[in-house]
Amino acid sequence: MPPSSNRAAATDAPARPQGTKPGKVRRLHLPQKLRHLELFLLLIACGINAAAVMLVQLGALGHIDTTLVLLGAGLSVLVLGLHFVLRAVARDADPFILPIASLLNGLGIAMIYRIDIANGDAGWESAAVRQTVWSALAIACAITVVLVIRNHRVLFRYTYVAGFIAVVLLLLPLVPGLGREVSGARVWIGIGSFATFQPGEIAKIALAVFFAGYLVRNRDSLSMVGKRVLGMRFPRLRDLGPILVVWALSMSVIIFQRDLGTALLYFGLFLVMLYLATGRLSWVLLGMALFLGGAIIASQTLEYVNGRFTNWLDALNPDVYGASGGSYQLVQGLFGLAKGGLIGTGLGQGRPDITPVPQSDYIIASLGEELGLAGLFAILALYLLFVARGFRIGFAGNDDFGKLLGVGLSFVVALQCFIVIGGVTRVIPLTGLTTPFLAAGGSSLVANWIIAALLLRLSDTLRNQPRLVV
Amino acid sequence: MSVSELTLLVLRLGFLLLLWIFIFGIVYALRSDLFGHRVRKQQQDAAASAPQMAYVAAATPVPAAAAPTEQFTARPSAPPASSGPERANARNATRLVITSGPKSGTEFPLTSDSVTIGRSGDSSLVIRDDYTSTHHARLMLWNEEWMIQDLDSTNGTFLNGSRLAVPTPVPLNTPVKIGATSFELRR
Repeated sequence: MPPSSNRAAATDAPARPQGTKPGKVRRLHLPQKLRHLELFLLLIACGINAAAVMLVQLGALGHIDTTLVLLGAGLSVLVLGLHFVLRAVARDADPFILPIASLLNGLGIAMIYRIDIANGDAGWESAAVRQTVWSALAIACAITVVLVIRNHRVLFRYTYVAGFIAVVLLLLPLVPGLGREVSGARVWIGIGSFATFQPGEIAKIALAVFFAGYLVRNRDSLSMVGKRVLGMRFPRLRDLGPILVVWALSMSVIIFQRDLGTALLYFGLFLVMLYLATGRLSWVLLGMALFLGGAIIASQTLEYVNGRFTNWLDALNPDVYGASGGSYQLVQGLFGLAKGGLIGTGLGQGRPDITPVPQSDYIIASLGEELGLAGLFAILALYLLFVARGFRIGFAGNDDFGKLLGVGLSFVVALQCFIVIGGVTRVIPLTGLTTPFLAAGGSSLVANWIIAALLLRLSDTLRNQPRLVV
Repeated sequence: MSVSELTLLVLRLGFLLLLWIFIFGIVYALRSDLFGHRVRKQQQDAAASAPQMAYVAAATPVPAAAAPTEQFTARPSAPPASSGPERANARNATRLVITSGPKSGTEFPLTSDSVTIGRSGDSSLVIRDDYTSTHHARLMLWNEEWMIQDLDSTNGTFLNGSRLAVPTPVPLNTPVKIGATSFELRR
């Protein structure tokens, strides 16, 4: 038998010429295997979520009642719904993203419920009920994304539309009458007295799509030419346009919206995607120098940035601690973390409600107090796994746009975690961002579930089925 | 109804344990990503492939010179600079044929997608033996020409007997050796 007649085309088995032994190709990842694994992990995650709510009730109320059967079961039904949608339309999607996101979301709801108990909120006053409703909306958005976007390449067509949408979303809070200012930062929009929303959270997804599309189209001019200085190839002056535009954008976010964290998030996202697309360290150095320069100037000239730096560097000074807008919140969070110790006070048994906004910006401190270092590290490990799966998508695929988008989206989650948790634990100056999936806040939940849905879609379309196994 | 301190303590420790079991469950499921795939046992294939290997050894033309490495930006229409065989490009190469190793003689059609080679299950061409790295090498189209790039593999990728250092154009009918497996690009 001549070797050439022994075809093993994995895709079209009937088209094989005669003389072919059947069973030449073995599938390594049976699609249903991935979904079964996902279902198994998802059921464990739902179990942990229910256990968390029960422990909160036992710890804080001393008995278990049925209020939260609604909340716990609601989230479980929703994520299982997403799972069955994936079975139908994205069989090869990554099996770990959904369970991890569900667990983080459920832990968040349990913690928010715990704060509600401490504050005596119930019904629609309760942030936990609202968070569950927002989760429902967010997961509905995720299901829509998975159903509508059947192939991520569609997004490549809308590169510049995505860029336009991002700029509009960023400018929305500055529109008079629509924008709302909450604790100094003008990043909210609201109609009437209800439905406040942070459009900047959605803007980060649009920006990631735009950056990915733009860099795939233009990376040659950004990576190939330039002078070598000190062993590094620096870009030409005229190629500095994009980075300066994004820098100006983040600086205007700092100045007009008074939001340091969001600015850092956008600029960091662009820098990482630029580095990925060109593979040149000089861009990262240039970008970091630009941002640090901008931040130092801002800290000298803008009062609120200056205050943030003082709170960070001199937090335990009684004057700073007692000042209005001082480091009271930060230090209370640290005290809470210290009270938690290694294994925590137990869910429902600490006093996380002493810290201002313990259910949104400071949910990490609340969780750290009641679950301790062991629990906090578990949460960080969950984020690590989530982000690693995103990076993995970028590594496996053949398509540059998908790679950049996958890594960009997961990096946004990673950077946001770093900015928030770093701020709460006093590693960097505190800035108001939400902890992805955990913190109370509808816009953040919607944005992060859309990110999860996009990662699921990317992992499905980019997963390489082996053509031949030797 | 109230719960004793001891029960709460046990429940609290149990909850943390459950969290970590979940995490290690995921990590365990990911183990092939972290540590690579297990090596396949090859005894049963060795006997079957022996006669084919003899055929391949006789049939494979041995090109005189290794392909030049510095000219991967050259136009595909330009004639090859060396006197070696014609380079494989998107038009003249249609299939990848395994010429030695356990699956000698099998082939699959080339498309415009790049071909990743390695032990990892998401490679296009999965080679599972002791000598292959998880992500070993990659065949891709650059300027319509097939190039092979070694992805920093432990045991190297050999084009016509010489180990690759930089992405190199692949001539037609020239063996590329990875571990115990060789393949060629053919019309």
